[in-house]
Amino acid sequence: MTPAYLEITPLLGELVWEESPSDELLSWQLGYMTQLETQFADQLLEIRQGFTRISLVWKREEFQKEFKTSVSELSITPPPLPEKIWEVPVCYEGPYSPDLAELAKLKKLTPSQVIQHHSSPIYRIHFFGFLPGFFYLNGLPEILQTPRKAVPSLSVPKGSVAIGGAQTGIYPNESPGGWHLIGRTPISLFEPSLDPPVWAKVGEQIQFKPISVEEFESWSEPLFYLKKP
Amino acid sequence: MKKTLGSATILRTGPGTSIQDQGRTMGSKFGIPTSGAMDQRSFQWVNHVLQNDPSDAVLEISQPGFYIRVEAPALISISGAKAVVRVNSKLEENPSLLSLQKGDILEIGQFLSGSRVYLGIKGGFQSAEWLHSRSFFAPLTGQSMLKKGELLSFRTLESSSFSWTQAKPRWKTNWFEIPEVEAFKGPDWELLSDKQKEMLLKTEFHLSKLSNRMGIQLEELVENRLPELPTNPVFPGTVQLTPGGKLLILMKDAGVTGGYPRILQLPENSISQLSQKNQGSAIRWVLKDF
Repeated sequence: MTPAYLEITPLLGELVWEESPSDELLSWQLGYMTQLETQFADQLLEIRQGFTRISLVWKREEFQKEFKTSVSELSITPPPLPEKIWEVPVCYEGPYSPDLAELAKLKKLTPSQVIQHHSSPIYRIHFFGFLPGFFYLNGLPEILQTPRKAVPSLSVPKGSVAIGGAQTGIYPNESPGGWHLIGRTPISLFEPSLDPPVWAKVGEQIQFKPISVEEFESWSEPLFYLKKP
Repeated sequence: MKKTLGSATILRTGPGTSIQDQGRTMGSKFGIPTSGAMDQRSFQWVNHVLQNDPSDAVLEISQPGFYIRVEAPALISISGAKAVVRVNSKLEENPSLLSLQKGDILEIGQFLSGSRVYLGIKGGFQSAEWLHSRSFFAPLTGQSMLKKGELLSFRTLESSSFSWTQAKPRWKTNWFEIPEVEAFKGPDWELLSDKQKEMLLKTEFHLSKLSNRMGIQLEELVENRLPELPTNPVFPGTVQLTPGGKLLILMKDAGVTGGYPRILQLPENSISQLSQKNQGSAIRWVLKDF
């Protein structure tokens, strides 16, 4: 899985993989990230990761030119992915799942089948993007994949668990959004005063655990994982 | 001279006034956007004129009717949009460098050209830093705009006698008024058909009313049958082609990743230029090679 390197501007370029997102590709990406962060730390201003690209912002134009000619010689060892699985409590009921019934109907499933399909897989965190603390997950079962809403909601509540296209994710903050809201988590995903401000790392895994309305409403620890070492 | 902290009071402001600097690069791995002054060219200029540190924070003002009173002597520089500037109701013909005394009231009035005024102060505005930047971004700084009555602090000199020996510089605005906007090919440029490429480069586009610190949408449609792509990194200045055929120019507060085809990537100077353009302004893309 050796990537090509595409120059975009004199100071910006990206490593390009043609493969679809997968654990194997993520592992290669992590291998490249580690190598870049060690070998090129003083030459790079910023690294951003997506499903099939890693973007590099260089401090000087000549750094990018040199990198372009030497990238194929990098010796990368893809690391094993972490085994950590985070259990995320989600209330899929009542006022916390405004779009669940409609999504179930669309998929010719019952709401409890949707919950079952959503909460049984183990999802892999590929990177953070969209909003601070929002992680992109791979692993949504095909049966739940649903095109985004035609008209996005102006305000999606913080903690909403949602499905959009082939993706599922959690809104870390209130925001506009076009995904179908099927549940809500009482735990916080982003706390700017903490370092790091998020609890999970890229490569770790997530499993959703259904909780009742009562459990959701009596949840007393929003910082749950964030506080714990 | 000993440095102390001075303060200034916002007496009146429209929406969209914020503290900004060069922005932050440290947070993108957690999904935190770059932020920072939309028009970095104007931001850098005021700090240069004031002989400030290049990262000193300034005010970004996007509405007329802004009044601020300094509670200590202050040296101010104004750039960005060309606006009517008054000190204690007296018109300042060249506001690139203004020496204010304690109690002076500075007013930013009508915008004559451009859409964002940058107000820099000797020593820089002081506010909480998050990841080495003071730039407002609500999920981090808890605040996205400054409000009437707020007290700002700045580093000042104890004496009110500033020495300035050079000729007063003059801020020019013609660079952002021209319609030609330079752009590099984006990472997904090659997915476009020849017809789409030709249309992109021949069409005169206009800025729509959907314009803020996250992005600017253009009015004209470009036919789009491109597939949905895996979500990948975007930056300020990435131009996306949305499924509806609209061009969306990502600006400083945009998220760090996106799933729409990234068809152009703008250099910093073009981001500055676009951030000074108003709704209805015409632009034409000029491809830039390197």
